[in-house]
Parts: sequence; C-alpha cells; structure tokens
Amino acid sequence: MAGAADNDPVDVLIIGAGASGAAVAWSLAETRMRIVCFEQGDWTNPSEYPSTRKDWESQQFGPYHINPNVRGLETDYPINNDESPINVVNFNGVGGGTILYAAHFPRLHPSDFRVKTLDGVADDWPINYERLEPYFSKNDRMMGVSGLAGDPMYPPKQPPLPPIPLGLVGETIARGYNKLGWHWWPSDSAIITRPYEGRDQCLNLGPCMSGCSQGAKSSVDITYWPEALRSGVELRTRCRVREITLNRQGMADGVVYYDEEGTERHQKAEVVVMACNGVGTPRILLNSESAQFPDGLANRSGLVGKNLMFHPVGFVQGIFEERLDSHKGPAGCCILSKEFYETDRSRGFVRGYNMQITRGTGPLATALQGYTSGTIPWGPGHHEAFQKRFDHVASIGILCEDLPEEHNTVTLDPNLVDSDGIPAPKINYRLSENSEKMLAHGLARAEDVMEAAGATEISSSGVLEDAGWHLLGTARMGDDPKTSVVNSWGRSHDVKNLFIVDGSIFVTAGGLNPTSTIQALALYIADTMKKNLANLFD
Amino acid sequence: MTNDVIATDHPLTTSQQETLAALLDTLLPASDDGTMPSAQAVDLIGYLTEKNAEFIPVLVEAIGHFDDGFAGLSLSDRYPVVEAFSKAQAELFDELLFHTYDCYYQDDRVLEGIGMAAGPPFPTGNTIEAGDLSLLDPVMQTSRTYRKYDQ
Repeated sequence: MAGAADNDPVDVLIIGAGASGAAVAWSLAETRMRIVCFEQGDWTNPSEYPSTRKDWESQQFGPYHINPNVRGLETDYPINNDESPINVVNFNGVGGGTILYAAHFPRLHPSDFRVKTLDGVADDWPINYERLEPYFSKNDRMMGVSGLAGDPMYPPKQPPLPPIPLGLVGETIARGYNKLGWHWWPSDSAIITRPYEGRDQCLNLGPCMSGCSQGAKSSVDITYWPEALRSGVELRTRCRVREITLNRQGMADGVVYYDEEGTERHQKAEVVVMACNGVGTPRILLNSESAQFPDGLANRSGLVGKNLMFHPVGFVQGIFEERLDSHKGPAGCCILSKEFYETDRSRGFVRGYNMQITRGTGPLATALQGYTSGTIPWGPGHHEAFQKRFDHVASIGILCEDLPEEHNTVTLDPNLVDSDGIPAPKINYRLSENSEKMLAHGLARAEDVMEAAGATEISSSGVLEDAGWHLLGTARMGDDPKTSVVNSWGRSHDVKNLFIVDGSIFVTAGGLNPTSTIQALALYIADTMKKNLANLFD
Repeated sequence: MTNDVIATDHPLTTSQQETLAALLDTLLPASDDGTMPSAQAVDLIGYLTEKNAEFIPVLVEAIGHFDDGFAGLSLSDRYPVVEAFSKAQAELFDELLFHTYDCYYQDDRVLEGIGMAAGPPFPTGNTIEAGDLSLLDPVMQTSRTYRKYDQ
C-alpha cells in the first residue's frame, strides 16, 4: 500500500517502533485505517550485528553498548542518570529494546495485578491476568516463544515452541535447586528453537544481547513489523517527536517532529498512540506543555513521570571445577526460579524476586572481568587462571520487584538536550529499604544455590549500574483520573484521543522481565480500541 | 639511530616495535605447553590500524615509558617494570590492556587454544545439550502452586 504523503493527516499516529508500538500497529492494521508509526532510529541489519564479526565482544563496549550515553549514536538521546544508582539502558531503532534484549519472556503472575489486595502495598491494577491471558497467548504465537508447559507457578499455558536447551549450565544449577528443594523451570524465551514462521532456529551463538544475526531471537523488527507493513501500516524512521499538539477542543491533533535532516515538521493525526517506553513517553508528554496543560500533556493527575520503577538487579557468579560450556547458547536465557517470588513477611520485605540463571561470557569479557576483580592476572599465570574460569562459570541474576514511589521520577533536564535540541530526560531514583532488603536476600539465596550446585568460588554484586532495562510506571493506568494517567485500556483520562501502550502504564512492576506483559497490554488496548471505534472518544 | 627511522608504512619505528613486542610478551606470554601463543605473535598493529587507529598515538606514548634496554630483558625482569608502569600510568595501562586482550582473544589460534571455534560466532554457532528434563520431577512432585486470590 502506498504510504500517506508526508504530513497528510493520518488516522492513527504511533510514536515508537519497539515492542509495544509494533504490536499495536499490527493489531490496528485490520481496521484499514491510515496508520503511521514514527521511529527516531533506523532499521538495523542483522548481517551487520556483532556476532558476524571477530570483534563481536568489543562491539558491545562501543556501538552496541546498552547504555545510550556510552553508545552515543546520532539516533540516541542522552539521559541524565546522575541522581540514580541505576542507569537507563535501551535501544533506539525499529525493534526498540528487543534488538538488544536477552529475550527472557515471562508473564506477570496473576498475583502481580492485585498487590494492594494481597499485600497491602502499592495499588491493584484495573485489569487482571485473566483479562490479559488471550493476549499473552496471541503474543507468544506472534513473537515465537519457546518454553515448557506445566510450570506450577503459573496458570496453565502452552508456549508454541519447545524450551531452549538447558546445557551444562542449566543442568548443573538445576541440581543445586533440587538439592535445596526449591522451584526452578526452563525459561520462557522469545528465541525460536525450531524453524518458525519463515525464520530459522537458534544456533546457540551466545551474544543475543547485541542483536541476533540468525534472526532466531524474536525482536519485533522481524516478527510484528513485517506483518504490519504488509497489512498497510507505514513506518517512518528518523522521525523524532518533540511534542504532541492540541486543537482548541483539547484533543490531540498531531505532533511536531524533526526529520533526518533536522527539519521541523508537523504531522496531523486523529489519534496519537505513545509507545516510547517508561522514559521516552513521559519525556514527550512533559515537553508538550500548553495553556490547557501547563504541567505537561495528560498530566492533570500530576503523575506523568512519577512512580518510575526499574527492577534492581543483583548478580551472583559461581566458578565450577568442571567445564560448563558457558559461552554456548543464549547468554541471558536458561532456567529461572520463582521460589522467592511471592511475599513472605518473615523475610523482612514485601513482594519478591525472580532468580534468572544466565550462562557465561566470551573470552574478552572473561579476561577483563578477571583483571578488574583480580582473579585473572595479566602476565605469567594468565592462561592458567583464565582456563579455570572461562567456560566454567554459571550466574544467577536477581530481579527484584520495585514498588512505585512518587519520588522516583522522570523529568526534563534543564540543560541537557538531544541533537535536535529536545530536552533530555533526567532520572531521580533511589532504592527503597524494601528493595535493598530484597536484593540482599536474593544475593544470599543465590549464593546458597551456587554452593548446593558445587561452585568452588562464589562472588556477588549488586545493585548493578547498567541494568535499567525495565522502564515502568510513569503514566500508570487506573480508574480514577486523580490517581492515574490512563484508564484501564490505555486512554488518557485528560485527552480522549491519546493512548499509551508501553511500560509507562504499569501500576506495579512484578519481579520479572516485562516485555511479554507490555506487548499483551498493547494487544489488549488495540483490541479494546477496535471494539470501541464508533465511540472511541466518548 | 637507524632503529628510529620509519622506513616503511609501519606506524612504529623498529625500536618501538621491539619494545612493543617485549611489552606484549610480558602482558600475555605464551603458555608453557605451547597451546596459547604470546601476545607478541598476534598482529596488534594491524588490528589497531583497521579498527582503532586513534589508539596508535596513545600506544606510542605508552611505549615511550620504557627505555631501550627493556626489550633485552628476560620475562621475569620485564614483569616488575611493567607492573610499576601499570601503577604509575593506570589509565594508560588499562587502555593498553583492553586493546591487547581485544586483539588477542579474536585470534583464531587463541580461540582454538581455549576450546572455541575459530572466527566469529555466526554462522557456525554451537551445539549444546538439550538437558535432562527429568530433573524437573522433584519440582512437579511438590504441592507448590502459583498464588491465587479471589476475583
């Protein structure tokens, strides 16, 4: 289908081509509306990903770094993390964070939607697991998710593909969990283990987190987007939105954006859908001040940019006598444990965490980590020390549930701007006492697992600095316009033709990777929009 | 001083090349069993020229911290010299070590020496065991379940 001419009015304008923007675009395409998506970055080319190069590891320290401030691409925007122990990490381009994510793909648990009711903290969501379940399943099929049915920690579900291999790392750590009598299960992973929908299966390359050259990792540039484009959605790259504009009636009527040449343009739209993640979305809303919304668009509640939630991450590494082939297989996906996922107040904190077993690093990262930790010297003795650690390592990541707190914020930095002069986001965040206790508990329990699994050497670290992948809560959903930014299906309480579909709308964070839930929410919101097309703005 | 004349398109003088070779051999000497080559056997200059040319002047600066006699010392005598350099010029040393490791651990002989396939990960990939899923039996035999609540 021929795209809409530049600046012709469109029916739906989606801002952001990442996990949620792709899902909502695909779902809305069947309406035959004129749908355009603006993405500030470019398409990536899998044949240029680092794993096709001999210097694949050092690429992760430069152009494929997860921290945009280090990566510093023209398509990135700077982020002021000075007032946060956790740095925001992301990717700006078609596919968004799914280009560099580990592809861990757990769903939020039913209990995650009822935190206030069950544990007396934070708030309940206005929707529940059962409402989202059909969308979780549809999304699993669209993305191509591998896993194993029967996990007792979830209601019944059936991943479309068999689980990724445990490998020696998974088996070794699983035996440790069994010795302790604790829960573990193969991870649900957005990595295809069999040929699926025209894509070939995982080759166990290892470095999933710098893009998958094989195309087995389910990033949305190769799952949702091809389908959405075939259905008539138009995707325009290098379009960086500065602000959303309003008409006299207080409805969104388009956006001001900069094209690749840095030329300022205006795009008219009947409906605007924000899909820019929990930092990018409040950034644009706060930058869309007007006489009607002096504190930022859709912000009469005052909650845009507040309640920022990450998942504080800790990391425990074990060294084993036997070779575990640690560098082989998906680096971030193996098995997980929900043993400490739910509240047990005797632990001294509420809510819980996910234990995520990860494999090892490549040789460069092993040598560098060994140098900084003093475990692998340079000079005589290097090779012996290296061989004891390389491929002999297994790790456990502790992913803690972060509770919403209004003092954790995304605001506009008064000085820092991106290459188009748009104010950069500034993060103010501190770990709560609850999170600190949870993290300490998680690190100690992960050490128990390593010991039970037979590790000869165990080290712990946390909270990890470059681990702000999960950007949640900054435009929360709810039924009350005074205490939430969007309603139960993502529509702004204040601007009836403005929708938000990304992680901003999470009420609570759960203790696990959010992409599956973000996309299920986007599909649910799109479906609800379709059901209400006749009176969408009532 | 013919040693200090650049006679080719090599960015280092002969003397600098000798110092660099000794320095690299100190950072990563060959393994005793001969499996792992010395870092002086990998082409650091070629790698830098292709991938990180901006580091070459920094490398020259690093080499300048070692006197002419350094290259003639034994490994055991070179080590304390380099160790002192690593402490006195920590930032410069860390940068040098990063590039040395980066170049070294891309070399096919090195990769094969540590049990990896030569070349980049793609398209060869790796084979790993599916694993024994009967290990899940104890998990499935417990009464553990997800947390339920009234709707």
